[in-house]
Amino acid sequence: MADKIVADNETAAAFSEFHVEADGFRIRYMAAGQGTPLIHLHGAGGPRLSRGLDLLSQHYRVIALEMPGFGRSAENTRTATMPDLAATIASALTAMQIDRYNLLGTSFGGKVALWLAVQQPERVLGLVLEAPAAIRPVGTRPPAGTPEDLARRLYAHPERLPPLPATDPAIQAKTSALVMRLRGPDRDAALEAEMRKLTTPTLVLFGTRDNVVPPEMGRRYKEVMPHCHLVFVYDAGHAISTERPEAFADVTIDFLERHEAFVINRTPTVIHP
Amino acid sequence: MKISYFETGRYASPPDLPREWPVPPAAYDPATGAEAFRGMVERVQLVEKLGFDWISVSEHHYSPRILTPSPVVSAAWLAARVDTIKIALLGPIVPTSNPIRVAEELAMLDTLAPGRIVVGLLRGTTNEYLSYDLNPAEARERTDEGMELILTAWNEPQPFGWQGRYFQYRTVSLWPRMQQPAAPTYILGTSAEAGAFAARHHCGLGVSYGNFESMGQSTAYYRQQCAQYGWTPGPDDIIYRANMILGETDDAAEAALQRRDKRGLFAVSGGLAEALRTADTTRNIAGEKRPANVGGVLPISFCGGPDRIVEQIRRCRETMGAGVLDLSLQDPGAGDTDAMMEGLDLFGRKVLPRIRDI
Repeated sequence: MADKIVADNETAAAFSEFHVEADGFRIRYMAAGQGTPLIHLHGAGGPRLSRGLDLLSQHYRVIALEMPGFGRSAENTRTATMPDLAATIASALTAMQIDRYNLLGTSFGGKVALWLAVQQPERVLGLVLEAPAAIRPVGTRPPAGTPEDLARRLYAHPERLPPLPATDPAIQAKTSALVMRLRGPDRDAALEAEMRKLTTPTLVLFGTRDNVVPPEMGRRYKEVMPHCHLVFVYDAGHAISTERPEAFADVTIDFLERHEAFVINRTPTVIHP
Repeated sequence: MKISYFETGRYASPPDLPREWPVPPAAYDPATGAEAFRGMVERVQLVEKLGFDWISVSEHHYSPRILTPSPVVSAAWLAARVDTIKIALLGPIVPTSNPIRVAEELAMLDTLAPGRIVVGLLRGTTNEYLSYDLNPAEARERTDEGMELILTAWNEPQPFGWQGRYFQYRTVSLWPRMQQPAAPTYILGTSAEAGAFAARHHCGLGVSYGNFESMGQSTAYYRQQCAQYGWTPGPDDIIYRANMILGETDDAAEAALQRRDKRGLFAVSGGLAEALRTADTTRNIAGEKRPANVGGVLPISFCGGPDRIVEQIRRCRETMGAGVLDLSLQDPGAGDTDAMMEGLDLFGRKVLPRIRDI
């Protein structure tokens, strides 16, 4: 039985909640919209339905998975590595009878998404990495602390957004241990070796005011994957899809529809025909 | 203290020229225009000989008051005709420009004249938006975004796209790039937004025409913002553009001040000026609201004989911390270039040698 839930920022689309059994985990997911599946893998803070996802659900069947050990799920002491976690997600998608899909990974979820694309490239139509944390400056720490602390790390303009919900210390402790175990080195040679071979059309997005992973990391993705596309979202922080949802959704949809041809402008400029 | 001479392309306007902006093209005389630009080279060569550190050029449209709609063209022409003096573009009006084009042209200039280009990025006064049909209400945000895009285009080593509010590009990949080190870059403006942007991006700040105290408020705000970003600007990081009347004596300078035309030269008319002020309500000095500048007569910040001028420059430095003065020795648009040449010569002989240690 699906429960109705509403995306944050009081958006119009309601996501429905479902569960799937995969790889010994009971995995919660939220889904909205119709069309080609767009799988979302969340950041280290757990699942969060942004306005940006809401806009994407007007074009795709958006499926936002809660990865085992995050959010409301039970503590996950079993998953040992990022590739393991990606394999679990692949099993979940198979169980949901989703064969080919677009893939969106946010921050920590960006690294999981890369591993998933590496493991099953034939299933991933297009890959979008939102402020990915797969390549980080040495010593980068995931956001933590009070809701105010988190907002300062996640947003360029926290004053323009509703306050973040209070953090549950139990969830934070459980998640933090999992993230620190799985996140891997700041430069992950094994992953980067695989990224060099990846032919999946890939879009890398960074907010120009990201306070978690500096936008200068974008150039590292271009060095490793010269055919990926790097786009800066002006005046957005780490949580691009929350802070500049229209800009995020516009470029994401355009890329997923047209892949490399998205560099060709189709916007009419005629003023008075 | 470093000194810059603000070159405006002195078009010798006949007295019967229409006085309001825009001035009809029919009133333009090509020979007078060519003469103005020949004079531009002569003046720049003169101030180089006199020991000035920079000359500056700017962007203005549709009148003979300042005859340089393209500072990049001015700078390229002048840079090829002088040897050592730095050429400061103060600056391209960012909100009316294609930021990528600005970034490319400035990178070209920096490559054509390595080590000799200085860049200022400018929001522009409200009347300037009439030229390229910009909504004044969007100017602030377009400026901030455009400046950030220009800096990003200069710095990014890999092709990138830009998903902005006002600008969108899918592919940006600059050739040529800026020199290393790149041309010093200033954000021009007195507002809190300009000061904060300059501080965040480790740029200098350029302020203009206000009195020492109010401009001191702006530069103090900038320094405070720089401290928040963990750095301390030096005197060379602050430019003050101002008008100066220099005479052989204080009395001679005061007399020249009295003779000065008190009308705004080639300004927008009263009704339009008021409408522009109403349309642009975000202007401020370090956060303190002020009406929009829509053209018109500009104040004289320095006036006197050499001794008094030296003291005024000292006070300017103490009050606002400026280490670069960008000077007009006569109102832009005023016809008497002989008086200005005399002023430049006098400044070079009797003031410049005495202000180097300020």
